[in-house]
Amino acid sequence: MQNVDAIDSGYAEKPVNYLTNGYTVKSWLLTKDHKRIAIMYLIVVSIFFMMGGLYAATIRLELLTPQSDLLQSGTYNKVFTQHGILMIFFFLIPSIPAILGNFLIPIMIGAKDLAFPKVNLLSWYLYMIGGALTLWALMQGGVDTGWTFYTPYSTTFSNSYVMAVGLGIFINGFSSILTGLNFIVTIHTMRAPGMTWFRMPLFVWAHYATSLIMILGTPVIAITILLLAIERLAQIGIFDPAIGGDPILFQHLFWFYSHPAVYIMILPGMGVISELISNFSRKKIFGYEFIAFSSIAIAVFGFLVWGHHMFVSGQSTYAGLVFSFLTMVVAVPSAIKMFNWTATLYKGSILFDTPMLYALGFMGLFLIGGLTGLFLGSMGLVVHLTDTYFVVAHFHYVMVGGQVIAYLGGIHYWWSKMTGKMYSEFWGKISAMLVFVGFNLTFFPQFILGYQGMPRRYASYPEEFQVLNIFSTAGASVLGVGLVMPVVYLAHSLIWGKDAPANPWLLPGLEWRTASPPPTENFEETPIVTWEAYDFTEESGLDLEDARNKYKVTV
Amino acid sequence: MAHAVDTHEHHYHPPGLQHQFEDMKQQEESVSIGMWVFLVQEIMFFGGLFTVYLVFRSRFPMAFAAGSNHLDAFWGGLNTLVLIVSSLTMALTVYYAQKGNRNMQVILIILTMFFGTVFLGVKAIEYTDKYNHGTVPVDGWNKRIPEGGTQHSSPAEHSTLTLPFETKASAADAEPHESEAVHPNPQGRFRIEDKDLELVKQAQEGNYLTGSEKIGYFSNGQGSLPNGQIDEAKFRDKVRIFFWIYFVMTGLHALHMIIGLGVMLWLLWRAWLGSYTAEYFSPVETAGLYWHFVDIVWIFLFPLLYLLGRHFLHGGGH
Repeated sequence: MQNVDAIDSGYAEKPVNYLTNGYTVKSWLLTKDHKRIAIMYLIVVSIFFMMGGLYAATIRLELLTPQSDLLQSGTYNKVFTQHGILMIFFFLIPSIPAILGNFLIPIMIGAKDLAFPKVNLLSWYLYMIGGALTLWALMQGGVDTGWTFYTPYSTTFSNSYVMAVGLGIFINGFSSILTGLNFIVTIHTMRAPGMTWFRMPLFVWAHYATSLIMILGTPVIAITILLLAIERLAQIGIFDPAIGGDPILFQHLFWFYSHPAVYIMILPGMGVISELISNFSRKKIFGYEFIAFSSIAIAVFGFLVWGHHMFVSGQSTYAGLVFSFLTMVVAVPSAIKMFNWTATLYKGSILFDTPMLYALGFMGLFLIGGLTGLFLGSMGLVVHLTDTYFVVAHFHYVMVGGQVIAYLGGIHYWWSKMTGKMYSEFWGKISAMLVFVGFNLTFFPQFILGYQGMPRRYASYPEEFQVLNIFSTAGASVLGVGLVMPVVYLAHSLIWGKDAPANPWLLPGLEWRTASPPPTENFEETPIVTWEAYDFTEESGLDLEDARNKYKVTV
Repeated sequence: MAHAVDTHEHHYHPPGLQHQFEDMKQQEESVSIGMWVFLVQEIMFFGGLFTVYLVFRSRFPMAFAAGSNHLDAFWGGLNTLVLIVSSLTMALTVYYAQKGNRNMQVILIILTMFFGTVFLGVKAIEYTDKYNHGTVPVDGWNKRIPEGGTQHSSPAEHSTLTLPFETKASAADAEPHESEAVHPNPQGRFRIEDKDLELVKQAQEGNYLTGSEKIGYFSNGQGSLPNGQIDEAKFRDKVRIFFWIYFVMTGLHALHMIIGLGVMLWLLWRAWLGSYTAEYFSPVETAGLYWHFVDIVWIFLFPLLYLLGRHFLHGGGH
């Protein structure tokens, strides 16, 4: 029986932790500590997120008026392309796995580190090289193909830096593959004694499923981009119809990865939400096995639905029917998660702290994003909606409303563990609400715009669409403020924040049973796990009397 | 062999054990699973290429047969044999590592590397042949043969590249083939030969062209040429796709071989130092997995690139 007070007072002695274990630049750049690598990812990924955000702001400013006045059409093409490339390949895909997953998976399963710490460091460097190459290309003049690199935009008709950006994404892809490999092996072999598969936090299950997609999908986009690059270099037609190639083949290969890739983006977010919903309801999650297996099901079915991106691009109707059906099928495991989270909230003792506000926001926004996905998965309706703002809105509801919000919730939730400091709860709540309001104001009008027929990827539009576009741009400003605020108060907390106790919310997870920040080896001694995940009963070994007094909750 | 490891003693830290693992068993298991997962991603990586191959081959079998005929099944077969033997020596390396026999490990690793190098050497001969015959699919990257020039390969040199295992039909073709080889190519362009077009004519007469071929070889966007004439440029583009796939596939495979040789060099050094014992041999096993994988990729590449479509040479119509 472990006393919570004892954990609480643990920080007073200030033993050496992973942050104080060496201060030199070398001790960071050559570190093999998964926690330090996670922090290095956090810094770089945040920079990419801000750059992608600036592109987004430029897009919204341009769309304030119907004319293309701020940007020429050609420049606009580059701006939305680069917004997409930076956000997808350099923020959405690495953010939760490489930052939170890297930091937490070994701790959550009671391991000292990932199975291959050097490989982990290598993936950070690959990310840096890929990112640097892409940034260089963007500064040289950028790309205007759309983030999808569809041929022949990316072959015959493009004089922009497709090769360099493609190579950047290719290298970055291997960073993703190696991270996935590391996670799979770690989860298989590094679990502490007693940490059985069904005692693992659902965050770990979600990352296992994500890693499967990274391993199976990313190599396909790697070879596709490689073929595209050689095609541009040698002028031989594999994908370019002008010289004998097949552009539909490119789309098949591209979406074979890039559709599962949206599950690389959202599954870790769902893992975070499972943690938040259960822990902030102070209740064992409802339907643990169903949520765990739904992650795997999403990973499997996610590979069978890529054709729904190609309903109107020359794919046969019969293939379309099958893809449409499978798209409906893949919605089922997502729905299973939603229902289980809702059931977890039922009769829970809910704490409305900042991370939980994000989690509840996620549930609302992901619901809308997911349901509109079904609209787009139906072959008939999509003829009307394809390539309109409806698609843009759907995608952003899932990716920003889902992944980004889950990421922010996760960063707030584990901030005390990662840095040993408490952020301002007041400002945290304000910003969570601003993000929620700003997000909806930005993207909900786009559903209407798309339904009315406003096409995406144009710098100008008919005047009747202006009102809704102004709403959208106004919402983007609110969203922008909501996203900048955490940067300020989280940075502020690093210096002026209160020291965090080991277990600020009195939660049962393994990560809360070591110091904040954890020592380099994560635990003083390898823990022996005797409790289920999210166990708020006496079985968890925590002194829950204390928790009852502190939170006035019934457990 | 130098250190007898007692893994039963609790606080003993075995030499090769990394800090993140509890014991050697956990480390070996991790390394082994890690390599298998890596190979899965390799399969998907090559899988994309095989998909591209399958799509284009099923559409344009004649163009692929024509391209295939330019490859030499003798060299391809020899390389297959070489790689299979290298897999044997690799497997034996693992066996002797498990036995803790340092000398046999060293000898077998050297043999494995030897066969790997032979493979790459043969590949270099083949690539040179493509260069000489204008079948590198990038214009300007082939040997430049001026008008009436003498730089073309001599018949004697060429025959060393074709014979031993050549089929009767292609031996019969050898004469016109030779005369094709002297055709000037001052720009170093990719080019095809009359015998390649013969295949299409055969298929046209035998009525076994695919739908894609009927469009792909005979019309150029402005409609079909008169009298069912083949549009040579269109057909050439399709053969070029074959060679493009050939070079990408075998090139990436060769790259994997080169990386494999690097791994073997490291393994050789460690084996020479006697690092691998009956208790600790997982690096040998893991490197072996990789080596076998690269061999298996070739086992698929060989029939797809060299053999499929050869029956059309015999007049596939009957």
